[in-house]
Amino acid sequence: MCEKSLNKCNDFKELKVILVGLGVIGKGVLKVIDAKNDDLFKKYGFKISVVAACDSSGATINENGIKPLSIIKTKEETGKIVNHDFGVQKNILEVIESVNADVVIEVTPTNIETGEPAKSYTLKAFETKKHVVSANKGALAVAYSELMNSADKNDVMFRYEASVGGAMPVINLARESLAGNNIKNIKGILNGTTNYILTKMEKEGLDFNTILKEAQELGIAETNPHQDVSGLDTAAKMVILANTLLGKDYTIKDVKLEGITRITPEALEMANKSGTTIKLIGEVSNKKLEVCPKLIPIDHPMNVKGSLNVAMFDTDLAKDVVVIGRGAGDIETSSAILSDLIFIGNSKKCND
Amino acid sequence: MIFLDLELKDTPGELLKALEPISSAKGNIISVIHMREERTEDGRLPVKVVIDKIDDGELSSIIDKLESIDVIVAKINEKRRKLDLDVVIIGHVVDTDVRDTIDRINEIGLVLDLDLSMPSPDVESSAKMRIVIDVEKIDELYEELDIISKEKDLLFVKSC
Repeated sequence: MCEKSLNKCNDFKELKVILVGLGVIGKGVLKVIDAKNDDLFKKYGFKISVVAACDSSGATINENGIKPLSIIKTKEETGKIVNHDFGVQKNILEVIESVNADVVIEVTPTNIETGEPAKSYTLKAFETKKHVVSANKGALAVAYSELMNSADKNDVMFRYEASVGGAMPVINLARESLAGNNIKNIKGILNGTTNYILTKMEKEGLDFNTILKEAQELGIAETNPHQDVSGLDTAAKMVILANTLLGKDYTIKDVKLEGITRITPEALEMANKSGTTIKLIGEVSNKKLEVCPKLIPIDHPMNVKGSLNVAMFDTDLAKDVVVIGRGAGDIETSSAILSDLIFIGNSKKCND
Repeated sequence: MIFLDLELKDTPGELLKALEPISSAKGNIISVIHMREERTEDGRLPVKVVIDKIDDGELSSIIDKLESIDVIVAKINEKRRKLDLDVVIIGHVVDTDVRDTIDRINEIGLVLDLDLSMPSPDVESSAKMRIVIDVEKIDELYEELDIISKEKDLLFVKSC
């Protein structure tokens, strides 16, 4: 937060945002903005004003602000945001370009192969001098340098805490709270679905496919779980951490990758016999960038259960620092998005 | 002084056997701490032996003798020298010539134990291997495991 302290900077009262993507996370962001706006004003002296929200059907735009819950209502009742009172048939790039706003919140579906369309939306926001808060690991995992260069060139901020570990403060913790430390190594369990599957396999002695099916029925695993169980989702997050915190220029193709589909209940039992368990671990250091199942001691702080996520930093000054949290969920992920919005709001308050 | 961290099999006479190469090399034993309340993961007993300083050649000869009688010299002067590693293996472990897999690992470290589970002939087996290895050879071992993994379609789950 700005060191000039609260309410002592300029008289900025409103952070205008364009929300791109109205899926589970987009709706979560709207709920959180609605619930927290009064608190934000009391604590930080500004509110978040949603001036546009977009989905593939079009957009709703009102530069005086739109009630967040009305956007959710229209989306849930009609399936299309264009049916909102302020609805217009404009495509997302046009909205980003034409609407006057401070920040674009980018929460469209992740595409790990091309990073699109999130990449184009993010670049368009930068070109039109808007800051970006993103939860989208796809664009970051395939085009990190291009995005960062564009943000720098246009002198805007790019914040993406929600892209790694959902509600867990991973990037901002390392960049801000551990500032001055040399981070030697980062390890973590950054995919809740695989952690849930391995935890259940270990506990119940059932095979991978049985537990996966159960997880799908419970809505914990996606209908197409490939990105999770193959390790690709974790790999994208490790690329983001490597590039952001270790100054690398990796893409997802650089990750040595092995998923959890071959893990058997017998293998977990074997691991248990020697006081260990098997987890899908992402690891990055100067020598290594890999995602694969690994043995960790049962009493190790990274042995988190169920769908929890964990990240462990090995640093020169603070030594080992571990953070555990919920890696997914609409409100949890929105918590990370909100923290980035507050950071931008406070910076804007002091810098404008 | 030189501090040696040894790991002995838990059978009668092992401590005496371990001290003999030291005394026959005229190493002056200052203290022996037998840590019976602690055990390594493979059930060995840690013993700390402190001896008077001797030259490097004599020390290395003592270590060779200790290892030849199956005493693991885990640390010298607190510096870890040997490591016990567990590796879980998933795949057709036996059908892909488990003897060859062990022999290749033994060229770098030493396979101490193999636990195997074969639930049915048509599904992949799971195995656990305990390997003792010099700390500086871990990268070499992991490279060899990667080669074997590709060649035999085995998944090696290594320690974190």
